[in-house]
Amino acid sequence: MKGRTKESTTEAVPYRDLTIANQHGMHARPAALFIKTAARFDAEITIEKDDTRISGKSIMGLLTMELYQGAKMRVYAEGPDAEEALDALAELVRNKFDEE
Amino acid sequence: MALTVTDFFEEGRDPFELEVVCGETHLGRVIKEPAINRPGLALTGFFQYFANLRIQVMGLAELTYLKHLPDDETRSARLAQLFEQRIPCVVLTRNRHAPPELLAQAESYRVPVLKTPMITNRFINRATLLMEDLSAPRRKFQGTMLDIKGMGVLIEGQPGIGKSETALALIERGHSLISDDLTLLRRDNLGTVVGSADEVTRYHMEIRGLGIIHVPSLFGVASMRREMRLDLVIRLATFDEHADYDRTGMRSETVSLLGADIPLLTIPVAPGRDIAHVVEVAALNQKLKQLGHDAAKELDEKLMRALERKRRQ
Repeated sequence: MKGRTKESTTEAVPYRDLTIANQHGMHARPAALFIKTAARFDAEITIEKDDTRISGKSIMGLLTMELYQGAKMRVYAEGPDAEEALDALAELVRNKFDEE
Repeated sequence: MALTVTDFFEEGRDPFELEVVCGETHLGRVIKEPAINRPGLALTGFFQYFANLRIQVMGLAELTYLKHLPDDETRSARLAQLFEQRIPCVVLTRNRHAPPELLAQAESYRVPVLKTPMITNRFINRATLLMEDLSAPRRKFQGTMLDIKGMGVLIEGQPGIGKSETALALIERGHSLISDDLTLLRRDNLGTVVGSADEVTRYHMEIRGLGIIHVPSLFGVASMRREMRLDLVIRLATFDEHADYDRTGMRSETVSLLGADIPLLTIPVAPGRDIAHVVEVAALNQKLKQLGHDAAKELDEKLMRALERKRRQ
């Protein structure tokens, strides 16, 4: 959903720019791992790529984002444990989802 | 639990029209090998590899051979040798009369003798199946079992989570109930786990707020099934936001029941979720997997090919 309120709220929301590092990209297993990690936190996770935003808890959303190796995404976290959530997700992506 | 001649006699009395010829007080003998042997060679005095732990069946051939032995003493001596081997029991087929020496030796070695009107071959086949069934590993399992479009699905979960209500909704959708709340499982000789209901409570289920209902009276005979192969266990769990549910269906968990690994799915129960519908789809999806079509895996392969193309661009 787009709108002024949403846009302006996003300004203050912490985010990280992450680059997909694993060879096969964001396929089912990494996506499940990403969502599982996101679900550990109370923070609302949102993923943005090429002007598309999806919930970080939607597996079908994540699979349609075309997150191949080298692709970039911006991950937002909104909530009390936002920083911890972003750290955990960033680490997961950096570690190539333990795939290689 | 050891299989005794009593167990065999009780279960075989009706289907095989079994009768006790002699030795009713010795029916407690144990059948250590649940199988049949024809003691032809033993009657000639050859005892190497004699299968003495099995039920000994005497048909036309054995009894005619005994009749052709030269005299009563020889017959007695040969039969004594046979009974010395601690055999569990003797079954005479075609309702043949036993020679008096056989009954005398059976009595002195405390071995029961039974008879059946069946012909030997048919009796051996049917009795073997019955004994395999009687000695199959068994256990009781707290859960409700249904036949969902040819798939045996066992639903487990904490009391009050809605196993019976889910089953009721599935029965209304045209599926059949095998057992409510307590399922008897046994593993047959092919390794298949089969579920059935307790004899007494079969056809009944308990719904909170309604009490006990008789399923076929309400939903017709098609709503019940006596037994069913177990294909899938579904564990209903209270929805927990932070719990680790399978989001792709690629995890393939199993639960070990009677030594067999049965596919296991955990389904979170939350207000507003139509659990019966989810269970129905889970059963059909498992059927697809058994047929070699794994939707999650196939989507993943397609996705990986698409990501690879994008990466190369």
